[in-house]
Amino acid sequence: MIFFDGEIYENDMCDKLLSRFEDRICDTLGNCRLSAKQVMLAAEKISTDIENGAFDDMLSALDVENVSYYKQLIIACLSRENLEYRLKTELGDSDGFIGSPNGITPKIRIQTKPLGVLFHIAAGNADGLPVMSVAEGLLAGNINILKLPSADKGLSIRIIKRLCKYEPLLSRYIYVFDTPSSDVRTIQTLAGFADGIVVWGGTEAVKAVRSLAPPGVKLIEWGHKLGFCYISDYANHTDEFSALAGHIASTKQLLCSSCQTVFIDTDDKTELTLFCEMFLPYLEAAVGKHRNTSIGTRARDTLISYTARLEQAIGIRQISPDVFYGKNCSLIIKDDFELELSPMMCNVLVKRLPRKDIMRTLRNAKGFLQTAGLICDKADRAELTDLLLCAGVTRVTQAGNMSAYFFGESHDGDYPLSRYTRKINIELNDQTEETNI
Amino acid sequence: MKYRRLLFSVKDPYSDSSDELFTKAVKENFSYCISHCDDYRRICEELCISSPSDASGLPVIPTLLFKKKQMMNTGCIPLIKATSSGTSGRKSTIAFDTGGLLCGLKMVMRVSKLRNLLSPVPCHYIIMGYKHHRGNKTAVTKTAFGATFFTPALSRNYILTYKKGGYSPDFDRIIDLIVRHSRSRFPTRFMGFPAYTYFLLRIMDERKIYLKMPKGSRIMLGGGWKQFYAEQTDKNSFYSLAEKVLGIKENDIIEFFGAVEHPILYCDCKEHHFHVPAYSRVIIRDVDTLKPLENGKTGLVNLITPMVKATPVLSVMTDDLGILHNGSECSCGLKTPFLEIVGRVAPEDIKTCAAGAEEIIKGVNV
Repeated sequence: MIFFDGEIYENDMCDKLLSRFEDRICDTLGNCRLSAKQVMLAAEKISTDIENGAFDDMLSALDVENVSYYKQLIIACLSRENLEYRLKTELGDSDGFIGSPNGITPKIRIQTKPLGVLFHIAAGNADGLPVMSVAEGLLAGNINILKLPSADKGLSIRIIKRLCKYEPLLSRYIYVFDTPSSDVRTIQTLAGFADGIVVWGGTEAVKAVRSLAPPGVKLIEWGHKLGFCYISDYANHTDEFSALAGHIASTKQLLCSSCQTVFIDTDDKTELTLFCEMFLPYLEAAVGKHRNTSIGTRARDTLISYTARLEQAIGIRQISPDVFYGKNCSLIIKDDFELELSPMMCNVLVKRLPRKDIMRTLRNAKGFLQTAGLICDKADRAELTDLLLCAGVTRVTQAGNMSAYFFGESHDGDYPLSRYTRKINIELNDQTEETNI
Repeated sequence: MKYRRLLFSVKDPYSDSSDELFTKAVKENFSYCISHCDDYRRICEELCISSPSDASGLPVIPTLLFKKKQMMNTGCIPLIKATSSGTSGRKSTIAFDTGGLLCGLKMVMRVSKLRNLLSPVPCHYIIMGYKHHRGNKTAVTKTAFGATFFTPALSRNYILTYKKGGYSPDFDRIIDLIVRHSRSRFPTRFMGFPAYTYFLLRIMDERKIYLKMPKGSRIMLGGGWKQFYAEQTDKNSFYSLAEKVLGIKENDIIEFFGAVEHPILYCDCKEHHFHVPAYSRVIIRDVDTLKPLENGKTGLVNLITPMVKATPVLSVMTDDLGILHNGSECSCGLKTPFLEIVGRVAPEDIKTCAAGAEEIIKGVNV
């Protein structure tokens, strides 16, 4: 399936469409201007549709726990208020005129312009992500080529078609290809049209894109990250423990911001055992509460725990003293200081990390840091927060909010809109000063 | 194994009157397994099962467990061993006894009549799978090779060939051969993984190679659709692509279903439904409680057959999600219920051979 110029085509038309793609891009870049206002108006209409239930069938089929909260979140994200705020903060207020203080260089005008053509290679692990990525590209004024993830269930194309219905100009700015990742030739051709490639996904996906991107194209990587929770003084924080357990159970540790490893501020291994004994009931309760509704996931969990039971019966699974098993979850003590990916699905790694070793440990994970949940005494909070941020973390939250979305937040330490735009300069002279470019 | 012999001698594989014999045969197999396999006995103890009254009461062993530990019945000389096509170093190894293989042979002869697969007319075979190789014990390879004996074979060529210690697909060579075979007087039969066959058709379509294969040519698919799972739209686009590229009509596309842990040949009827043959039973189990579900409900797929004596694969559970439909829901006339695979349990580290297929294909392109 291909979406091109507002029409749906079969994949066998791919070569034909690609042969006239550059002409189309040149025509659009040369003769059309897309304003953020047009995008916001169309987004607002979509948001109203979502509110009125136009996409309820597809939203309820998504693998998310609280559909109504998710719906409210999308509506808020698409709201004019949010988009206007993002334009303002993410693009900054550098637009204007500037000259050198002593008048030695001519005055210039600074303006924000789109990169041109963005090629989005979206990941399949978050529903709705492909369309959000395109929406950001549009807001910055770009032409967007979207390679759909194979797991996309049709939500993206439905929303995109509707956007184009509300603002017909958008059909010149959105092109969708459901080319499989294995079709390297087509992907390379699409990359050849782009000024920027936006890639979402794991290290392998990012590496693959780096290898096929033409030199000179801007790579905008939203790679996989590892979240963790840092706990200093765990004796007096029971509320935060149930919030942390809730976070682990609700995200199943599948998101970049999910807690993979719990670090305890201690040098004493026996403290890890005490922590696990204390924390396991919280985790078990949360897992029970957040039981997945998807039949495939429930089947997998049942199959795995049933298999584990039989493995024990025939003696191929030994119960390690360092693993605390709960129902559909576990806490695994490991005796090193590294931040690493857990087995996920509510199987959490627990490690020591005295605060004097924070910097060294996190530096080893540089490039993969994003969210840290922090549980500690009030008096320590500022110091620990600063230490984590200096080590490369980009978000410090309460333990229960590690995967929460905060309005106005940056993404992995960056503002997407600013990465999708250029700051251009025009030298002012007698001719240009008067005209409002 | 008297009852096993009687069961596999049932003339009509789709007769719906084999229940009593089936129960006797599974009880016979159960008694053998529990007294000849310590692991099986321990599993029965764990599940508090001592004398099941019917097939639904047997201990169900996940195929995943066979991948983690090789279990065999003692006192039975295995004739051959076959493995599943697991790619991540986790394969099930299942041993087969002579009696079981003879039963299997009878079964194949009978089931293959459903779609008139046996023919005296010689054929060229294109195998969309692994080349038979000494180091390859996968059941898929053996089955694909076996399928080339339905008719006299003029030639056998494989898409995956073994080079430098690994398998890789060679689409160019196979396409050249197909073009040559299209001019032959004799039909061509394709056999193997749907994924590779689909990729082949797509490559030919991309290169605008459109052929009309000789009359009697067929596409036989086995090894699962995996990522194309049961998506009827995908299957339909496959059928239309096969007609467009090779001139082979939907009626000449035949699909098989089976697993090394459940070596029963499921062959689709003309409506492309997998009716359960007399030698097998399917119980769909609740995804939370593992209790049997009534027909029409989705759950985990439990496959039962008393065919194998050498390995305790009497009652196994795959990582498929399926629905068992009443036979009357299909217009083909067969009375036994039919199994529809609707998906797979959510992925964790259960890696399928289709994932392997994707990797091999990526390896070719990148």
